Amino acid sequence: MPRADVVVIGAGLSGLACAAELAGSGASVFLAAKGMASTHWTHGGLDVAAPDGASTSRDGIARLAGSAGHPYARMSDHVADAVAAHRARLDGTAVAMVGDLDMPLAPIPTALGALRPAAILPMGQGAAVGPWEGQGLLLLGIGHFRDSWVDYAARNLTAGAWPGGPAEIRAVTADLPGLDARNNLNARTLAVLFDDPAWRARALAAMAAVVPPGAWRIGVPAVLGLEAHAEIHAHAQEVLGGAVFEMPSLPPSVPGVRLFDELRRRITAAGGRIQVGFDVVEVERDGRRVRAIHTEAASRTLRLAADTFVLATGGIAGEGIRAHRGRRLEERVFGLPVTAPNDSEWFSDDPMQPHPIESLGIDVDDHLRPIDPTGQPVLENVRVIGSSLAGMRYLEQRCGDGVAITSAHVVARSLAARSAAA
Amino acid sequence: MTFHDAAARDFPAFSTDACIKCNVCNTVCPVSRVTDEFPGPKYVGPQAQRFRGPGEGSDAPDHSVDLCSGCGICTRACPAGVLIAETNNRARAGIVEERGSSLRNRLISDTDLLIRLGTPVAPLANIGLKNRLARWFGEKTLGVHRRGPLAPFSRRTFRAWWKREKRPTALEAGSDPSRTVVYFHGCAVNGFEPDLGRDAVEILERNGLTVIVPPQECCGLPFISNGLYPRAREKARRNLESLAQYARAGYRIVGTSTSCTHALKAEYREMLDLADDDATAVADATWDICELLVDLHDRGELDTGFAPIAESIPYHPPCQLKSHGIGLPAMDLFALVPGLRAVDSDHDCCGAAGTYGLKAERWQIAQDVGAPLFAKVRAAKAAGASRAACDSETCRWQIEQSSGVPTVHPVSILAESYRRADEAASEPRRRLV
Ligand SMILES: Cc1cc2nc3c(=O)[nH]c(=O)nc-3n(C[C@H](O)[C@H](O)[C@H](O)COP(=O)(O)OP(=O)(O)OC[C@H]3O[C@@H](n4cnc5c(N)ncnc54)[C@H](O)[C@@H]3O)c2cc1C
Repeated sequence: MPRADVVVIGAGLSGLACAAELAGSGASVFLAAKGMASTHWTHGGLDVAAPDGASTSRDGIARLAGSAGHPYARMSDHVADAVAAHRARLDGTAVAMVGDLDMPLAPIPTALGALRPAAILPMGQGAAVGPWEGQGLLLLGIGHFRDSWVDYAARNLTAGAWPGGPAEIRAVTADLPGLDARNNLNARTLAVLFDDPAWRARALAAMAAVVPPGAWRIGVPAVLGLEAHAEIHAHAQEVLGGAVFEMPSLPPSVPGVRLFDELRRRITAAGGRIQVGFDVVEVERDGRRVRAIHTEAASRTLRLAADTFVLATGGIAGEGIRAHRGRRLEERVFGLPVTAPNDSEWFSDDPMQPHPIESLGIDVDDHLRPIDPTGQPVLENVRVIGSSLAGMRYLEQRCGDGVAITSAHVVARSLAARSAAA
Repeated sequence: MTFHDAAARDFPAFSTDACIKCNVCNTVCPVSRVTDEFPGPKYVGPQAQRFRGPGEGSDAPDHSVDLCSGCGICTRACPAGVLIAETNNRARAGIVEERGSSLRNRLISDTDLLIRLGTPVAPLANIGLKNRLARWFGEKTLGVHRRGPLAPFSRRTFRAWWKREKRPTALEAGSDPSRTVVYFHGCAVNGFEPDLGRDAVEILERNGLTVIVPPQECCGLPFISNGLYPRAREKARRNLESLAQYARAGYRIVGTSTSCTHALKAEYREMLDLADDDATAVADATWDICELLVDLHDRGELDTGFAPIAESIPYHPPCQLKSHGIGLPAMDLFALVPGLRAVDSDHDCCGAAGTYGLKAERWQIAQDVGAPLFAKVRAAKAAGASRAACDSETCRWQIEQSSGVPTVHPVSILAESYRRADEAASEPRRRLV
């Protein structure tokens, strides 16, 4: 294996973004991950910061940066650059983003009929953001697709408060050609069907037939194609006669799959390598430096040597950190110290409320190197990015994507600058 | 049986408890991408596993698991480490154990037998393979699709050539484990592609390695993929018996088929439960040839006197190679050949999956799975590529037959580059014929 400049561990949003930026700047990059993760589980948008009370993402960043220990406390100056770099990377593709840091955070409907604040969204979800100005919201479901419940969503949205929301909310369901005869439908199989131009034309005609008269914005399940999404989205707006937005539903997230595929293509097109499927099982160290990591393999391990190692293995959800019996926390690759709230404070009594344990993670210095409780770097050539970082509660603060791409950008830029200087 | 044995035996099934139902596997499965008949890895794997009894086949909710092609992409994508494809494979074996197997599956899995029957009458057999009427008949009577990718029989097996040349089949006195390797040629090189075997030996010898070819049989993977575990175990045991002594003495076993080498490395233990010391020694000693050549290069021992090949070649890393977890060693080697640009196909699976694409009822699925790959390979040819490259034989045959573009093993390209270098130096080495 030729030596890489950088080995990135983890194929979630942070690892992919970091590897794409590094490969694009000419570094040799090897991305190794155990499996896929957040892209396939989440909405494919870019939640930068939307804590309670924030008016815009920029306001949200400032609020979060003010709380000690939050990743934005170190990186808030870099968020705007990181968002710009990420958007530039995706411009001209089907996962291009709309919206910006100064746009008011608007409530947008979820697949179950709740509202969540959003500002920066993939082009195909952009129309979910108001202002509604007297328009109605039509939730257009797909018959036989078990992951879409538009009637339920419409009921919930109607029952809840939605200041400045649509004039009317209605749900309709279209039966698309051939679906009644299918045994197996999930978001991905539907997206593959939409990629077929002949089927798509008939499907959109069937969807148009159930749109009642009126001025609607139309929310559809997020299944409008994988390969041909941009074209399909445009085609859908034309045929359905209104602004159309995708609503991500249960995993698998088709918008996330598109994002993963686009970033993967970016990395390999720039000469980077990706290997998904194998855990890191061994680390070679030289004092405070890591010489190489080894990934699991069918027989002997694969040794990956590099100058720098970027840990992008996620928190509990990504399996980068594990909680063992006795509340022992383990960072699984390098055995880094994990910072977490006191034992007694892991959970709140109400399961639907935020839990303090969500903030667990790795403490870092300004270079995003892991540090010990005294503030000293534990490993000099390791950087930590994404939801492995301590101090955020991404579900409540809606900052997971922003922290992921900002930490990825900070690390990629500093490493690129270093290799340019060398 | 110790606890450890029990845990090892049931590991694929146990691992399904780690499933978090996230559906990632359903987004990467190439089979459910093209057919509604296959519900996808999550449903036939971790989901259905909850209903399977100890025999693993019994009480299965349905038999759609048989549509799994075994590519293993789901296992690699899984964020929770569930051995999905392995679970499916065992479930199929359970069904076969209960209900038996078709004559077709028993026949197409028995590659050693096919070679024994086909080689002596190769010219005739090959006419049969090309004859439409004969293939139609084969489809109607046996269920082997008339257009299924079958390679012509070689007139002489690799082993017969080895014997005729009086080449070593055992260690010679004073052999050095670091300078001698055991070649596991597999049935494909033996019966269908002996030239690839000669290319491999040429390259290994050029790099200072003595090659020995001890007795061996088909690795048994076709039996494993068809759920015929008892037959696969017979093959595996005989191979282990022949190979373990070398592995224990520190010799490396090198293969040109990423499928066979993966069987030696992983499937013997993970699926056939052959977790004894012999199996472990052989697994640890087994190398894919490109993996070995990259290792030589890392140690500064690879002859890098490659002559230029000015061409851009589409390269398809096969699923089995990806299951090795060894990166893409062929890409590293291609990068050493001046002028050569290998372009990763960036496509999941060619569809063939060993014998899957041969079966009358699976052929169309296999074609649909590989269709985008075939289009890419054809486009590369239109742009000037003379051939494509791929490390696994049935994938090569599938790509070649479905795209019309000759498809070779990466080492055949390296061997050609070495030969050109020799010709340029006007001291051609003896080519192995
Ligand atoms: C269900 C869910 C919903 C979310 N919803 C939101 C939301 O609405 N808004 C928001 O802002 N954020 C949300 N997030 C968070 C956000 O998605 C992530 O913070 C962000 O995408 C960054 O993820 P990551 O790249 O750091 O890690 P992950 O996406 O978790 O990726 C971890 C990667 O590391 C790999 N890995 C782990 N251990 C090893 C190992 N030992 N060896 C090799 N590889 C390893 C994994 O296989 C995986 O590829 C959500 C997260 C989850 C799980």
